[in-house]
Amino acid sequence: MLSFVLRRVSLLLPTLFGVVTVVFLMIHLIPGDPVEIMLGESAQSADKEELRRQLGLDRPLGVQYVSYLAGILQGDIGTSIHSHEPVLKEIVSRWPATAELALFAMLFAVAVSIPLGVLSAARKDTAVDKGTLVASLFGIAIPNFWLGPLLIMLFSIEFAILPVSGRGGFDSIILPAITLGTALAAILVRLTRSSILEVMGDEYIRTARAKGLNETAVYFRHALSNALIPVITVSGLQLGALLSGAVITETIFSWPGIGRLMIEAIEARDYPVVQGCVLNISACYVFVNFLVDILYGVIDPRVRVDR
Amino acid sequence: MKQKIFALFILPLFILSCTSRKPLPENVLVIGTETGPSVLDPRFATDAISSTVCGLIYPGLLRRDKKLNLEPYLAKSVDQPDDRTYVIHLREGIKFHSGKELTSADVRFTFESILAPDSISPKKNSFSKIESIDTPDEHIVIIKLSEVFAPFLGNLTIGIVPEGADDLTKEPVGAGPFAFSNYERGAELALKGFDGFIFGKPKLSGVIFKIIPDETVRMLALKKGDIHLISNGVTPAVLPWLEEQKNLKIAMETGTNVSYLGFNMEDEILKNSNVRKAIGQAIDRDSIIKYLLKNTAVEAESIIAESNEFFNPNLRRTAHDPKLAKKLLDDAGFIEKPDGSPRFSLTYKTSKNPTRKKIAEIIGEQLRQVGIAIEIKSFEWGTFFSDIKSGNFQIYSLTWVGVADPDIYYYIFHSESLPPDGANRGRYFNTELDSLLTIGRKTVSLERRKEIYSKVQEMISNDTPYVHLWFGKNIAVMDRRVQGFEIYPDESLDSLAGVYFKE
Repeated sequence: MLSFVLRRVSLLLPTLFGVVTVVFLMIHLIPGDPVEIMLGESAQSADKEELRRQLGLDRPLGVQYVSYLAGILQGDIGTSIHSHEPVLKEIVSRWPATAELALFAMLFAVAVSIPLGVLSAARKDTAVDKGTLVASLFGIAIPNFWLGPLLIMLFSIEFAILPVSGRGGFDSIILPAITLGTALAAILVRLTRSSILEVMGDEYIRTARAKGLNETAVYFRHALSNALIPVITVSGLQLGALLSGAVITETIFSWPGIGRLMIEAIEARDYPVVQGCVLNISACYVFVNFLVDILYGVIDPRVRVDR
Repeated sequence: MKQKIFALFILPLFILSCTSRKPLPENVLVIGTETGPSVLDPRFATDAISSTVCGLIYPGLLRRDKKLNLEPYLAKSVDQPDDRTYVIHLREGIKFHSGKELTSADVRFTFESILAPDSISPKKNSFSKIESIDTPDEHIVIIKLSEVFAPFLGNLTIGIVPEGADDLTKEPVGAGPFAFSNYERGAELALKGFDGFIFGKPKLSGVIFKIIPDETVRMLALKKGDIHLISNGVTPAVLPWLEEQKNLKIAMETGTNVSYLGFNMEDEILKNSNVRKAIGQAIDRDSIIKYLLKNTAVEAESIIAESNEFFNPNLRRTAHDPKLAKKLLDDAGFIEKPDGSPRFSLTYKTSKNPTRKKIAEIIGEQLRQVGIAIEIKSFEWGTFFSDIKSGNFQIYSLTWVGVADPDIYYYIFHSESLPPDGANRGRYFNTELDSLLTIGRKTVSLERRKEIYSKVQEMISNDTPYVHLWFGKNIAVMDRRVQGFEIYPDESLDSLAGVYFKE
């Protein structure tokens, strides 16, 4: 097992290195000069040069890249041009909001999708099943930028029971979590349904029924626990996406998370922060993928064997 | 196991339910904004929201009134013993939020810190003509310029910072009606009313800028009463809906932001002034303003707004006249083709902004009616702007923001103002205009300046290096209880010091 983990870690490092390189090049090769944007068109060439020197942008690209890499190795991913705070501190300060939103979106998705998926499988080809199918299609298709305002209009304006936007008490997370979790819930409903139907023909189900267990116990205790593996895999991978900052949902609900930080930094042309956010998002993905790989190794020992 | 899973679900819910939403404090005005300020130091603020917020925290020596004329603010008066010298008399008893008195040393520090060799203030250029700053006593500042520069007074509107201030974005301290309280980036910025404000304590106990990036959500928050005021950032299309809301009122006033079409004078077709004039005559601005912009703009004939004392009221109105446009094109040698094919085709560059793209499509269609084929290309801002500056365009459309002093003409049309040192993006060369603009910035007499810039506006109108489109109106939507809010043409929120709630 240890050698398997080490092998994965040895793959993790080059991946992260690649990410850092791509992020760095992307930021430096896109059109638009941060100095020009910060100082405005009316600034004089000498002042632009001075700022460029202070930001270290006058050095050759290779030198900048090496010093950026050296900084990362020492845990320094730069300083925000505007707030003058270390980028890492800015990202860390936004993490709780993003993590909270991701967690609740995931809770919502799981809490809705598993019972519905089981119900749909148990009532296969009935109106309930078809209704769930149509609902999940809607869930996948509805864009967040539309669903969010719709929920606000209903629950905040019409019924006036939830706040419109912002992050405060428990009530403020309900609508963002539903908005963000809906698409995931829709995917998980379909996945739960199909994996349950797959295991229903297995012999242990027949045994369970032969023992005289009622259908609820058959589905929830026996079928579900075996059908959950793909559901957990997908949820895990999706958590990576959720943690990397749900830009649209955070924008709609003015949720001060990583996604918003990145958008604000782009608008203010705060390049070190943009760079830090992209790096953080990529690292999240890489890390979650790594964890899922390891989990596979734990669940299914065959994965560990070197082929 | 089951209990553990249960706990895993319930624990975060429990933790969250313990953190309750803060109730809104009494007598605090909540303003909804699209973005938060990026800096809180007037020496570095360039974007709209940073400048607006800095305006509340850091007052300047002068400020612009509702007609954009300069009036004394922290300064009692400004004398000019000669054309290069400004003697500023400060009011007595001005206090910073820290309690320290604001004196001539702070004024001097503000300007000197902008001009310091290692300073990266974007405002450096505006103050570069300062030769010396003297402070004979605590309330007098004498500024001497290296050469006569009439627009200099306008620079004295910049906020004054305390002597020795380094990084004010972290801990802003000014002498304005509102003092910094707290800034949670991405969420909200809170200011509190300053009891020691030189013009008296503001009626509000505080102001909160709540950041709501999505426009629809911002409107819904206003309707629900979560926020009390939105100043600008209202798309014309939502106005009819806002008008229906009983708890809201709308105020609208013509601003100073002017939209225009710019031409590339080095282009073979566009260097002909008849072609440029024809384009102006072919555009039906009236319908665009009425149907697309829902009357949130007024036609412009100059970069200078009508409310500005430098505006020339006798300028020729560029009316929609397709017949005249066709005649002008014929005169220019681009004869109408018998088969209806275009006389020539041009590329029109614009940004990705949806309203701008729609405007480009409508103008393109209107130009097609007189035989000009238009290809619209819209780019992401960085690419678009870098093309405009490098002269890689035929026609483009943009907006000048906050035009107050007519010296902007030097920056836009003088032959020395080619990018990157100016904004003569169309490479316009006119020696007669050049000399007028040079005289203009060296003339201190107001009456004489008015004459010069009247002539400048006339020349631009006749030669048409720009087609002036319209001035956008500043729109404020607010809760009916909000009283005393006034719209300033330059979007400043100065009137907040006198705003109160009617119960």
